[in-house]
Amino acid sequence: MDPVAWERQIRPIYDALDTGSNKSAILACNKLLKKYPKNGLTKALKALALVRSQKVEEALILCDEVLAHKPTEDATLSAMSHVLRGLGRHTDVVKMFEDAFKTQPGNEEYAAQTFFANVRIGNWRAAQQVAAKMHKTFENVRYVYWYVTAVMLQAKDPATPEKMRELLHQLAHRQLMTSPSPSYIQADRLYQHLTVLRELKLYDDAQKVLEHDTGKTMYNNSLAVDELRRNLWQLSGRWTQERELAVQRITEKKDRNWLEFLSILDATFAPIVSSEEVSDEARTACSEQISRTRELFTRISEEDGLKDRSGLLGLLELAKRSKHYGFSQDSSELLSLLQTYWHRFGDKACFYEDVKPYLELDADALSRWTSFIDSVQPSCNTEANLRRAINWHKTRRFTLPECEITPELESARASEYIKAYFAGLSLGKDLAETELQPADDLVILAAHAFVSSWSIGGGEKQLYNASVVLEYGLTKSSHSYHMRLLLIQIYRLLGSASLALEHYRLLGIKQVQNDTLSHLILARASTFSLAGSGDITYSNECLESSQIYMTNSHETSDWIVRAFTQEKYSQIPDLIALEDRLDNSLQRDLVKLEHVRMRLTHEPINSELIDMELIELKFNFDRFHHDNRDIDIISNYQPSCQKSIFEQSVLFKKLPGPGWLFAFLKIYIRALQQASDVDDMVEAKLLIGDRPKQSHDPEVQRPLKERLATRKQVELDELTPNELALYDFATALGDWLEPHHDHIRPPPAKVLADASKQTEAKTGRPLQGIEPADLTTNGHAKKDEEAPPVKDAPESIACFFDDMLARFKKLVESGELPSELLHVATLTQEALLLFTIETLRFKPASVVKMYKLGALATSCKAIRTKAVAVLKDMSTELTKLSEKEGSSDQRKAFVQECQVVQDGEQIAHDFVLNVAKRVTDSRKKVEEGIAKSILKICSKDT
Amino acid sequence: MSVLRPFKATDLFKFNNINLDIWTETYGISFYLQYLTRWPDLCCVQEAPSGRMMGYVLGKAEGTGPEFHGHVTALSVAPEYRRLSLGRKMMALLEFVSDETYGGFFVDLYVRCMNKVAIGMYEGLGYSVYRRVREYYGSLGLGPGGRDEEDAFDMRKPLSRDPQRRSVRANGRDVVVSAHDGSVL
Ligand SMILES: CC(C)(COP(=O)(O)OP(=O)(O)OC[C@H]1O[C@@H](n2cnc3c(N)ncnc32)[C@H](O)[C@@H]1OP(=O)(O)O)[C@@H](O)C(=O)NCCC(=O)NCCS
Repeated sequence: MDPVAWERQIRPIYDALDTGSNKSAILACNKLLKKYPKNGLTKALKALALVRSQKVEEALILCDEVLAHKPTEDATLSAMSHVLRGLGRHTDVVKMFEDAFKTQPGNEEYAAQTFFANVRIGNWRAAQQVAAKMHKTFENVRYVYWYVTAVMLQAKDPATPEKMRELLHQLAHRQLMTSPSPSYIQADRLYQHLTVLRELKLYDDAQKVLEHDTGKTMYNNSLAVDELRRNLWQLSGRWTQERELAVQRITEKKDRNWLEFLSILDATFAPIVSSEEVSDEARTACSEQISRTRELFTRISEEDGLKDRSGLLGLLELAKRSKHYGFSQDSSELLSLLQTYWHRFGDKACFYEDVKPYLELDADALSRWTSFIDSVQPSCNTEANLRRAINWHKTRRFTLPECEITPELESARASEYIKAYFAGLSLGKDLAETELQPADDLVILAAHAFVSSWSIGGGEKQLYNASVVLEYGLTKSSHSYHMRLLLIQIYRLLGSASLALEHYRLLGIKQVQNDTLSHLILARASTFSLAGSGDITYSNECLESSQIYMTNSHETSDWIVRAFTQEKYSQIPDLIALEDRLDNSLQRDLVKLEHVRMRLTHEPINSELIDMELIELKFNFDRFHHDNRDIDIISNYQPSCQKSIFEQSVLFKKLPGPGWLFAFLKIYIRALQQASDVDDMVEAKLLIGDRPKQSHDPEVQRPLKERLATRKQVELDELTPNELALYDFATALGDWLEPHHDHIRPPPAKVLADASKQTEAKTGRPLQGIEPADLTTNGHAKKDEEAPPVKDAPESIACFFDDMLARFKKLVESGELPSELLHVATLTQEALLLFTIETLRFKPASVVKMYKLGALATSCKAIRTKAVAVLKDMSTELTKLSEKEGSSDQRKAFVQECQVVQDGEQIAHDFVLNVAKRVTDSRKKVEEGIAKSILKICSKDT
Repeated sequence: MSVLRPFKATDLFKFNNINLDIWTETYGISFYLQYLTRWPDLCCVQEAPSGRMMGYVLGKAEGTGPEFHGHVTALSVAPEYRRLSLGRKMMALLEFVSDETYGGFFVDLYVRCMNKVAIGMYEGLGYSVYRRVREYYGSLGLGPGGRDEEDAFDMRKPLSRDPQRRSVRANGRDVVVSAHDGSVL
């Protein structure tokens, strides 16, 4: 065909795809396919448009047709790799390029694409074989490094047995030796070379590379190479050399990188740290080194004066380590340095963080330090003094002994911080609206003291006070994220869920921050979700925050490939770590589970939902998770003897972790699996994309049923008592109904046949990849087996609802936080939903009749009646509470409880009243919403 | 005391205390990875001994012939670590690598005309305004900051390969160009 004419016909399809007009792309393809029904490119492009419009079944058919012809045309291959990646069929991409490369073994592009396709799925063994072939065929040195990188990554892969690793490292080394050009012509090649030598402990060889002139230039010019050099010298005990280089950099180049100071400190103590039995000579040598180091750091600290903190901090670290290793008996040196530090850098914002590690003092030193600090309390008259005052308060607070932490004292301290805050506020009155007030940390300290007071029994009013000061602080520094973070925590405790969400949104969390920070609002979010009454805000938040995981799987591997083409080998391990940590993020699966919990409250529970969630949750059950959540973002100024502010203020005192996730996965997978007709065999047939990589934990290899039944203490420890009760309930329910599910569930052959029929109805063709053998039942249908006897429902099932009601009432009577009430109510509601899932199969009258389940149906009905009665009771109670919450009495009470913050009369009554209104309105909304949600769920398909 | 080390892909999990500040934008992961996979040596982090990130810089090398230069794309220090010379040190590193490794003629950067602190710092470090780019930060509709809010200064500092200082000029503040095509306005 004339290429120009062809181009004219195919171009509009690309244009349509580029602009996202998938519909017109499909139409254009259809037109072209009428003329050229066998054209692979057109089919591939149509498949792409279909994938993008979620028409997966039709895309699959086209896909298989194109692949069957083993395409070798660039455009088709490229379109197909997009289609296959869109379908999650990465292994098929590998195969497609492998085939193309086999057909044209001289085609470097196909070779590279085969390599990359393997890289994208972490198939390092295959990647390494392709790279070896490429090096032989195309004789480009870079392929040596591709090979070496693939081998090193294979060695690092958790699936590689320990014994293999050494062998692989040697393999990499041998290959490097064959390279016709030395590694030091490029920093990243040198980096890779040194990494191999490090793994093989060939330190002398590494030294030769580093000593070469170019090697030297490279470690002096590249932080990455220098990091590796430092590591190599330390591993090989080149402490003298390490020290000399660091001294030279500090004194001649005026380098103030703290790493250089650490190198000197490590070198100083190396004689006694590296050997187990310390000889007298070693101690003497060390002692001499200490003097030399002290001399050096003193000189630096004097030279730098106020300009740089490194010298003085070096001395502090030296004093600390000297004491630790028994070179000095008391803390005098440390104390006097701390005092110098206070005088010199007490007005730097980072003073507190700098000195914290040195404040772990024994009783005697501590009392000397305290009397020093008490003697230097600054005023807030200048900005520098204000910063000093803030540091003074933080530092003073840090060493408070336990006996001085009582609800009253903490509340009094809060008052003191607030007073200082108002004194400092005037210093920033001329700042632009976008700027942060220099006094901000005093408000944050006040909130710390209030939360601390609450946590030791000071009552809910402490949290009211905390919320008022923080809200006030935000009127002065509208961009203080530190204040918002604390408010989110406090509002969740108070049950003011919509306010918490409002502040969270104002933080402007984006992109990867969703992974690290969404825990602030989404941990146990189903407690506050009003999806059951039609408000799906929280549910949407779950979906939006999960977008980043799709972005990661679409984009990050492109950059890993790019790192190969750009020869930036030093970046590859970290890029892979980023991809893996996002892909297997703990937060990802925690949010997924919260979303499922919310979804069940507002969507009809049917087999489609059950099957889909079952498959997804089972994938999550096989993952090895990474916890990327940023907890440290909330600055902590609590005394060292107390829990951190985060731990104190986290909802229900426990942040859900891997244990929580696995406990809940077990609850849900078990229930969904019992309700579903999709067993492992059927799932394997129905699955479209590749299976996600499994964890290498041997635990994952055990049969699913056993894993689901195993309870682990570490998992139970992460549950609240109420969640544990739900777990017990779900287990008893599952045990009771399992035999009946197993008996009635249709055989896989029938399930597949049905699925195939459905696909045929949709696409005109039966399900692909199913053999006739899959569709025959092995002779005897299960129905011939004897039906399991119907047993009475275990008492614990019905008891669960009574117990939860009792707990709920007790909480109401003792006036606990609304979040605690909502916790019990939503878990009880969740129990009813689990019950619905578990009993769905036994509902049709025909089933009851056919399997003689009359007795079972009666039991179920009784349980359901009980559950509904209990839940309605809770709902009524919540409605009552919400009405009270909305009253003016409630707001008045709130204002009255906030005496402490109103003491100085700077925070006006109206301001407090407004906060009171917002807090109580927000609570009213969630209490009302949950009450409604419960009623709705109770009335569903009874 | 701060550790100066390379910016790593996994630092995206750690940079919240810097990026939650309103003056610092959080981009999609591809934005950061594009820098790390091409100019990793122009990207570095300052970190406290506790492991908390204090600030970072992302840079690139671009241009051809006498226009080849280092460019500062993002420089940011968390509010609690400002005025500790961290900005200065990271700029020094970026200049050093642009000079030694890349052999660029100068280093340049764009800064909001309103950002007095940053402009003051850059001037202190030897940068001067080369031109003013109209509506570099989009057309915001004139806010309280006026044109200074949406315009950027293109600031430059010559490196050792430009001893004649051909890459800078004295009256840069008066040269106003369009953000769209660079034409002089
Ligand atoms: C601009 C910024 C990076 C400066 O970082 P920094 O680490 O505080 O800067 P340094 O401590 O290295 O300051 C170097 C010099 O700049 C000047 N300077 C910096 N901040 C200043 C301020 N707030 N007021 C006056 N001068 C200032 C001083 O001359 C200072 O030297 P000195 O402390 O010895 O007097 C930081 O303020 C920041 O992150 N701002 C938000 C993001 C931003 O605006 N980035 C620039 C975009 S192009």
